[in-house]
Amino acid sequence: MRAETLKGHLDFLLLAIVADDPAHGYRIIEELKRRSAGTFDLPEGTVYPALHRLEQSGVLASSWAAGSGRRRRVYRLTARGRRALAGARREWRGFTEAVEAVVT
Amino acid sequence: MSDRYLAELEAELGAVGIRGSLRRRILAETADHLRESGDAAAFGEPSLIAGRFADELATSGARRVAFTAFLALAPAGLAYAVLLGLIRTWPDIASARLLPLAIATAVTIVLAPQVAFAAGVLTVARAWRLRSQTAAPAAEIVVLRRRAAVALGSGAAAFAGIGTYAYLYASGLPGWWPPAALIVSGAALVPIGGAAVALARNAQLRPQATGPAGDLFDDLAPLVDRFPLPLRGRPWRFCLLVAVAVAAAAFIAGGPDEGPRNAVAEFVAVSAAFAVLGRFLGLRR
Repeated sequence: MRAETLKGHLDFLLLAIVADDPAHGYRIIEELKRRSAGTFDLPEGTVYPALHRLEQSGVLASSWAAGSGRRRRVYRLTARGRRALAGARREWRGFTEAVEAVVT
Repeated sequence: MSDRYLAELEAELGAVGIRGSLRRRILAETADHLRESGDAAAFGEPSLIAGRFADELATSGARRVAFTAFLALAPAGLAYAVLLGLIRTWPDIASARLLPLAIATAVTIVLAPQVAFAAGVLTVARAWRLRSQTAAPAAEIVVLRRRAAVALGSGAAAFAGIGTYAYLYASGLPGWWPPAALIVSGAALVPIGGAAVALARNAQLRPQATGPAGDLFDDLAPLVDRFPLPLRGRPWRFCLLVAVAVAAAAFIAGGPDEGPRNAVAEFVAVSAAFAVLGRFLGLRR
Protein backbone atom coordinates (compact mmCIF):
# COMPACT_ATOMS: atom_id res chain seq x y z
CA MET A 1 0.00 0.00 0.00
CA ARG A 2 1.25 3.49 -0.81
CA ALA A 3 2.57 5.37 2.21
CA GLU A 4 0.36 8.35 1.34
CA THR A 5 -2.77 6.21 1.54
CA LEU A 6 -1.77 4.85 4.91
CA LYS A 7 -0.74 8.22 6.34
CA GLY A 8 -4.27 9.43 7.01
CA HIS A 9 -5.02 6.32 9.09
CA LEU A 10 -1.68 5.77 10.78
CA ASP A 11 -2.65 7.38 14.10
CA PHE A 12 -5.75 5.22 14.37
CA LEU A 13 -3.76 2.06 13.60
CA LEU A 14 -1.04 2.89 16.12
CA LEU A 15 -3.54 3.60 18.89
CA ALA A 16 -5.35 0.34 18.14
CA ILE A 17 -2.12 -1.66 18.40
CA VAL A 18 -0.99 -0.04 21.65
CA ALA A 19 -4.50 -0.36 23.14
CA ASP A 20 -4.08 -4.12 23.47
CA ASP A 21 -0.74 -4.02 25.19
CA PRO A 22 1.95 -1.38 25.84
CA ALA A 23 4.73 -1.89 23.31
CA HIS A 24 8.04 -0.47 22.07
CA GLY A 25 8.47 0.96 18.58
CA TYR A 26 9.87 -2.15 16.87
CA ARG A 27 7.08 -4.34 18.23
CA ILE A 28 4.42 -1.85 17.17
CA ILE A 29 5.81 -1.85 13.61
CA GLU A 30 6.02 -5.63 13.50
CA GLU A 31 2.46 -5.89 14.80
CA LEU A 32 1.30 -3.43 12.15
CA LYS A 33 2.86 -5.62 9.43
CA ARG A 34 1.61 -8.86 10.98
CA ARG A 35 -2.00 -7.79 11.45
CA SER A 36 -2.17 -6.32 7.95
CA ALA A 37 -0.43 -9.38 6.47
CA GLY A 38 2.34 -7.14 5.16
CA THR A 39 0.00 -4.61 3.49
CA PHE A 40 1.04 -1.79 5.81
CA ASP A 41 4.74 -1.78 5.09
CA LEU A 42 6.17 1.73 5.26
CA PRO A 43 9.67 3.05 6.08
CA GLU A 44 9.93 1.85 9.67
CA GLY A 45 11.48 5.05 10.94
CA THR A 46 8.45 7.11 9.94
CA VAL A 47 6.40 5.45 12.68
CA TYR A 48 8.55 7.03 15.41
CA PRO A 49 7.70 10.68 14.58
CA ALA A 50 4.04 9.69 14.73
CA LEU A 51 4.54 8.02 18.12
CA HIS A 52 6.30 11.12 19.45
CA ARG A 53 3.58 13.39 18.08
CA LEU A 54 0.83 11.25 19.61
CA GLU A 55 2.65 11.40 22.92
CA GLN A 56 3.00 15.18 22.61
CA SER A 57 -0.74 15.47 22.03
CA GLY A 58 -1.48 13.39 25.13
CA VAL A 59 -3.05 10.27 23.62
CA LEU A 60 0.05 8.14 24.26
CA ALA A 61 2.46 8.10 27.17
CA SER A 62 5.86 6.45 27.21
CA SER A 63 8.59 5.45 29.61
CA TRP A 64 11.89 3.59 29.55
CA ALA A 65 11.63 -0.05 30.51
CA ALA A 66 14.58 -2.32 31.20
CA GLY A 67 14.52 -5.91 29.99
CA SER A 68 16.93 -8.48 28.55
CA GLY A 69 19.83 -6.17 29.28
CA ARG A 70 18.54 -3.19 27.29
CA ARG A 71 16.44 -0.08 27.79
CA ARG A 72 13.45 0.34 25.52
CA ARG A 73 10.90 3.09 25.19
CA VAL A 74 7.49 1.57 25.79
CA TYR A 75 4.33 3.33 24.63
CA ARG A 76 0.90 2.95 26.22
CA LEU A 77 -2.50 4.48 25.70
CA THR A 78 -3.66 7.25 28.06
CA ALA A 79 -7.27 7.76 29.17
CA ARG A 80 -7.54 10.47 26.53
CA GLY A 81 -6.11 8.06 23.98
CA ARG A 82 -8.78 5.46 24.86
CA ARG A 83 -11.50 8.01 24.25
CA ALA A 84 -9.88 9.06 20.97
CA LEU A 85 -9.59 5.44 19.86
CA ALA A 86 -13.24 4.71 20.72
CA GLY A 87 -14.29 7.75 18.67
CA ALA A 88 -12.07 6.77 15.74
CA ARG A 89 -13.47 3.22 15.78
CA ARG A 90 -17.04 4.49 15.69
CA GLU A 91 -16.19 6.84 12.83
CA TRP A 92 -14.38 4.10 10.91
CA ARG A 93 -17.25 1.62 11.27
CA GLY A 94 -19.73 4.23 10.07
CA PHE A 95 -17.51 5.07 7.12
CA THR A 96 -16.84 1.48 6.04
CA GLU A 97 -20.52 0.53 6.37
CA ALA A 98 -21.48 3.49 4.20
CA VAL A 99 -18.84 2.61 1.59
CA GLU A 100 -19.91 -1.05 1.62
CA ALA A 101 -23.52 -0.02 1.15
CA VAL A 102 -22.59 2.01 -1.89
CA VAL A 103 -20.14 -0.29 -3.65
CA THR A 104 -21.69 -3.75 -3.05
CA MET B 1 26.38 -0.08 9.43
CA SER B 2 24.18 0.83 12.37
CA ASP B 3 26.77 3.20 13.84
CA ARG B 4 27.14 5.02 10.54
CA TYR B 5 23.36 5.28 10.21
CA LEU B 6 23.04 6.68 13.72
CA ALA B 7 25.79 9.22 13.08
CA GLU B 8 24.00 10.37 9.92
CA LEU B 9 20.66 10.55 11.72
CA GLU B 10 22.24 12.55 14.53
CA ALA B 11 23.57 15.09 12.03
CA GLU B 12 20.25 15.29 10.17
CA LEU B 13 18.31 15.76 13.42
CA GLY B 14 20.67 18.60 14.34
CA ALA B 15 20.11 20.17 10.93
CA VAL B 16 16.35 20.42 11.55
CA GLY B 17 16.81 21.85 15.03
CA ILE B 18 16.36 18.67 17.11
CA ARG B 19 19.02 18.60 19.79
CA GLY B 20 19.51 17.80 23.46
CA SER B 21 17.41 15.22 25.29
CA LEU B 22 14.92 14.78 22.44
CA ARG B 23 17.69 13.89 20.00
CA ARG B 24 19.27 11.51 22.52
CA ARG B 25 15.93 9.79 22.99
CA ILE B 26 15.31 9.45 19.24
CA LEU B 27 18.80 8.04 18.73
CA ALA B 28 18.35 5.59 21.63
CA GLU B 29 15.04 4.37 20.21
CA THR B 30 16.55 4.06 16.75
CA ALA B 31 19.58 2.16 18.05
CA ASP B 32 17.27 -0.24 19.89
CA HIS B 33 15.17 -0.71 16.76
CA LEU B 34 18.19 -1.37 14.55
CA ARG B 35 19.62 -3.89 17.03
CA GLU B 36 16.38 -5.81 16.70
CA SER B 37 15.78 -5.47 12.96
CA GLY B 38 19.39 -5.27 11.72
CA ASP B 39 18.08 -3.43 8.65
CA ALA B 40 18.96 0.27 8.49
CA ALA B 41 17.69 0.57 4.91
CA ALA B 42 14.16 -0.42 5.97
CA PHE B 43 14.22 2.30 8.61
CA GLY B 44 14.31 5.05 5.96
CA GLU B 45 16.78 7.70 4.85
CA PRO B 46 18.11 9.70 7.84
CA SER B 47 17.12 12.97 6.17
CA LEU B 48 13.57 11.66 5.62
CA ILE B 49 13.22 10.56 9.24
CA ALA B 50 14.69 13.78 10.66
CA GLY B 51 12.46 15.87 8.38
CA ARG B 52 9.41 13.89 9.43
CA PHE B 53 10.22 14.43 13.11
CA ALA B 54 10.61 18.17 12.56
CA ASP B 55 7.41 18.43 10.50
CA GLU B 56 5.21 16.49 12.87
CA LEU B 57 6.55 17.85 16.15
CA ALA B 58 6.64 21.45 14.86
CA THR B 59 3.04 21.19 13.66
CA SER B 60 1.53 19.70 16.81
CA GLY B 61 3.78 21.82 19.05
CA ALA B 62 2.98 25.11 17.30
CA ARG B 63 -0.71 24.31 17.44
CA ARG B 64 -0.50 23.63 21.17
CA VAL B 65 1.52 26.81 21.73
CA ALA B 66 -1.16 28.78 19.87
CA PHE B 67 -3.94 27.54 22.16
CA THR B 68 -1.74 27.99 25.23
CA ALA B 69 -1.00 31.58 24.22
CA PHE B 70 -4.69 32.28 23.78
CA LEU B 71 -5.52 30.73 27.15
CA ALA B 72 -2.81 32.86 28.77
CA LEU B 73 -4.01 36.05 27.08
CA ALA B 74 -7.79 35.73 27.34
CA PRO B 75 -8.15 35.94 31.15
CA ALA B 76 -5.30 38.45 31.26
CA GLY B 77 -7.18 40.63 28.77
CA LEU B 78 -10.33 40.44 30.85
CA ALA B 79 -8.44 41.45 34.01
CA TYR B 80 -6.82 44.27 32.03
CA ALA B 81 -10.18 45.62 30.89
CA VAL B 82 -11.63 45.45 34.40
CA LEU B 83 -8.59 47.19 35.86
CA LEU B 84 -8.74 50.08 33.41
CA GLY B 85 -12.53 50.21 33.61
CA LEU B 86 -12.33 50.84 37.36
CA ILE B 87 -10.50 54.15 36.84
CA ARG B 88 -13.31 56.70 37.13
CA THR B 89 -11.25 59.83 36.50
CA TRP B 90 -8.14 59.54 34.39
CA PRO B 91 -5.21 61.68 35.56
CA ASP B 92 -4.13 64.51 33.26
CA ILE B 93 -1.35 63.19 31.04
CA ALA B 94 0.78 66.27 31.81
CA SER B 95 0.78 65.40 35.52
CA ALA B 96 3.08 62.42 34.92
CA ARG B 97 6.54 62.25 36.45
CA LEU B 98 8.19 61.85 33.02
CA LEU B 99 6.13 63.20 30.13
CA PRO B 100 7.82 61.40 27.16
CA LEU B 101 7.51 58.10 29.02
CA ALA B 102 3.90 58.96 29.86
CA ILE B 103 3.05 59.48 26.18
CA ALA B 104 4.72 56.21 25.17
CA THR B 105 2.89 54.44 28.00
CA ALA B 106 -0.48 55.89 26.98
CA VAL B 107 0.00 54.73 23.39
CA THR B 108 1.08 51.29 24.61
CA ILE B 109 -1.85 50.71 26.97
CA VAL B 110 -4.30 51.65 24.23
CA LEU B 111 -2.75 49.90 21.21
CA ALA B 112 -0.91 46.88 22.63
CA PRO B 113 -4.02 45.08 23.95
CA GLN B 114 -5.77 45.57 20.61
CA VAL B 115 -2.82 44.11 18.71
CA ALA B 116 -2.63 41.25 21.24
CA PHE B 117 -6.34 40.54 20.82
CA ALA B 118 -6.24 40.61 17.00
CA ALA B 119 -3.05 38.52 16.79
CA GLY B 120 -4.36 36.10 19.43
CA VAL B 121 -7.62 35.51 17.58
CA LEU B 122 -5.75 35.03 14.30
CA THR B 123 -3.35 32.60 16.01
CA VAL B 124 -6.22 30.45 17.22
CA ALA B 125 -7.99 30.70 13.86
CA ARG B 126 -4.93 29.27 12.11
CA ALA B 127 -4.29 26.63 14.76
CA TRP B 128 -7.91 25.54 14.42
CA ARG B 129 -7.60 25.37 10.64
CA LEU B 130 -4.51 23.16 10.99
CA ARG B 131 -6.09 20.97 13.68
CA SER B 132 -6.28 17.81 11.57
CA GLN B 133 -2.90 18.19 9.84
CA THR B 134 -0.07 16.00 11.05
CA ALA B 135 2.61 17.83 9.07
CA ALA B 136 1.65 21.33 7.93
CA PRO B 137 3.79 23.23 5.41
CA ALA B 138 6.70 25.03 7.04
CA ALA B 139 5.37 28.36 5.75
CA GLU B 140 2.08 27.83 7.63
CA ILE B 141 3.93 27.11 10.86
CA VAL B 142 6.14 30.18 10.47
CA VAL B 143 3.04 32.39 10.23
CA LEU B 144 1.45 30.64 13.20
CA ARG B 145 4.55 31.23 15.30
CA ARG B 146 4.77 34.88 14.26
CA ARG B 147 1.17 35.51 15.21
CA ALA B 148 1.66 33.86 18.59
CA ALA B 149 4.86 35.88 19.14
CA VAL B 150 3.13 39.18 18.29
CA ALA B 151 0.14 38.30 20.50
CA LEU B 152 2.34 37.37 23.46
CA GLY B 153 4.72 40.31 22.94
CA SER B 154 1.86 42.80 22.73
CA GLY B 155 0.17 41.24 25.76
CA ALA B 156 3.39 41.56 27.76
CA ALA B 157 3.82 45.15 26.54
CA ALA B 158 0.28 46.00 27.64
CA PHE B 159 0.92 44.76 31.17
CA ALA B 160 4.31 46.44 31.32
CA GLY B 161 2.40 49.55 30.20
CA ILE B 162 -0.10 49.53 33.06
CA GLY B 163 2.68 48.80 35.53
CA THR B 164 4.48 51.89 34.25
CA TYR B 165 1.22 53.85 34.27
CA ALA B 166 0.71 52.99 37.92
CA TYR B 167 4.20 54.28 38.71
CA LEU B 168 3.87 57.50 36.65
CA TYR B 169 0.48 58.52 38.00
CA ALA B 170 0.60 57.04 41.49
CA SER B 171 -0.53 60.30 43.11
CA GLY B 172 -3.46 60.88 40.72
CA LEU B 173 -4.97 57.40 40.96
CA PRO B 174 -7.06 55.78 43.71
CA GLY B 175 -4.74 54.44 46.42
CA TRP B 176 -5.59 50.79 45.75
CA TRP B 177 -5.08 50.98 41.98
CA PRO B 178 -1.25 51.05 41.63
CA PRO B 179 -0.65 47.97 43.85
CA ALA B 180 -3.59 46.18 42.18
CA ALA B 181 -2.16 47.01 38.74
CA LEU B 182 1.25 45.65 39.72
CA ILE B 183 -0.21 42.45 41.17
CA VAL B 184 -2.44 41.82 38.14
CA SER B 185 0.46 42.57 35.77
CA GLY B 186 2.77 40.21 37.62
CA ALA B 187 0.15 37.46 37.67
CA ALA B 188 -0.63 37.90 33.97
CA LEU B 189 3.00 37.91 32.90
CA VAL B 190 3.66 34.44 34.38
CA PRO B 191 1.43 32.45 31.95
CA ILE B 192 2.37 34.80 29.09
CA GLY B 193 6.04 34.09 29.85
CA GLY B 194 5.36 30.36 30.02
CA ALA B 195 3.71 30.41 26.62
CA ALA B 196 6.62 32.45 25.25
CA VAL B 197 9.11 29.84 26.47
CA ALA B 198 7.09 27.07 24.80
CA LEU B 199 7.00 29.12 21.60
CA ALA B 200 10.77 29.68 21.70
CA ARG B 201 11.31 25.91 22.08
CA ASN B 202 9.02 25.15 19.17
CA ALA B 203 10.75 27.78 17.03
CA GLN B 204 13.99 25.77 17.25
CA LEU B 205 12.43 23.10 15.05
CA ARG B 206 12.86 23.66 11.33
CA PRO B 207 10.03 21.88 9.49
CA GLN B 208 10.68 20.88 5.88
CA ALA B 209 7.22 20.29 4.39
CA THR B 210 6.56 22.46 1.37
CA GLY B 211 3.36 24.30 0.54
CA PRO B 212 1.80 27.77 0.64
CA ALA B 213 1.49 29.78 3.86
CA GLY B 214 -2.19 30.59 3.36
CA ASP B 215 -3.65 33.94 4.32
CA LEU B 216 -6.31 35.59 6.42
CA PHE B 217 -9.06 34.44 4.09
CA ASP B 218 -8.07 30.80 4.47
CA ASP B 219 -8.06 31.18 8.26
CA LEU B 220 -11.40 32.96 8.44
CA ALA B 221 -13.04 31.15 5.52
CA PRO B 222 -16.32 30.32 7.35
CA LEU B 223 -16.87 34.02 8.08
CA VAL B 224 -15.36 35.54 4.95
CA ASP B 225 -17.24 33.27 2.55
CA ARG B 226 -20.62 34.10 4.15
CA PHE B 227 -20.04 37.86 4.12
CA PRO B 228 -22.34 39.73 1.70
CA LEU B 229 -19.41 41.54 0.03
CA PRO B 230 -16.70 39.57 -1.80
CA LEU B 231 -13.62 39.73 0.44
CA ARG B 232 -11.41 36.80 -0.58
CA GLY B 233 -8.31 38.11 -2.33
CA ARG B 234 -9.15 41.71 -1.35
CA PRO B 235 -7.17 42.29 1.87
CA TRP B 236 -7.44 46.06 1.80
CA ARG B 237 -11.22 45.90 1.54
CA PHE B 238 -11.18 43.65 4.60
CA CYS B 239 -8.87 46.09 6.38
CA LEU B 240 -11.19 49.00 5.55
CA LEU B 241 -14.20 47.15 6.95
CA VAL B 242 -12.41 46.29 10.18
CA ALA B 243 -11.04 49.82 10.55
CA VAL B 244 -14.53 51.31 10.06
CA ALA B 245 -16.04 48.87 12.58
CA VAL B 246 -13.36 49.62 15.19
CA ALA B 247 -13.67 53.37 14.56
CA ALA B 248 -17.45 53.16 14.98
CA ALA B 249 -17.04 51.32 18.28
CA ALA B 250 -14.54 53.95 19.45
CA PHE B 251 -16.92 56.73 18.37
CA ILE B 252 -19.80 55.26 20.36
CA ALA B 253 -17.66 54.47 23.43
CA GLY B 254 -16.00 57.90 23.43
CA GLY B 255 -19.20 59.93 23.41
CA PRO B 256 -19.58 63.35 21.77
CA ASP B 257 -16.40 64.83 23.31
CA GLU B 258 -13.79 62.17 22.66
CA GLY B 259 -15.64 59.94 20.18
CA PRO B 260 -14.65 61.64 16.90
CA ARG B 261 -10.98 61.93 17.90
CA ASN B 262 -10.83 58.33 19.11
CA ALA B 263 -12.57 57.07 15.98
CA VAL B 264 -10.02 58.74 13.70
CA ALA B 265 -7.14 57.48 15.84
CA GLU B 266 -8.47 53.91 15.78
CA PHE B 267 -9.05 54.02 12.03
CA VAL B 268 -5.48 55.17 11.46
CA ALA B 269 -4.07 52.65 13.94
CA VAL B 270 -5.87 49.66 12.39
CA SER B 271 -4.86 50.69 8.86
CA ALA B 272 -1.25 51.30 9.90
CA ALA B 273 -1.06 47.96 11.74
CA PHE B 274 -2.43 46.17 8.69
CA ALA B 275 0.12 47.90 6.44
CA VAL B 276 3.06 47.20 8.75
CA LEU B 277 2.19 43.69 9.98
CA GLY B 278 0.02 42.44 7.10
CA ARG B 279 2.58 40.33 5.27
CA PHE B 280 4.49 39.35 8.39
CA LEU B 281 1.36 37.88 10.00
CA GLY B 282 0.03 36.29 6.82
CA LEU B 283 -2.93 38.67 6.55
CA ARG B 284 -2.17 39.28 2.89
CA ARG B 285 0.11 37.56 0.43
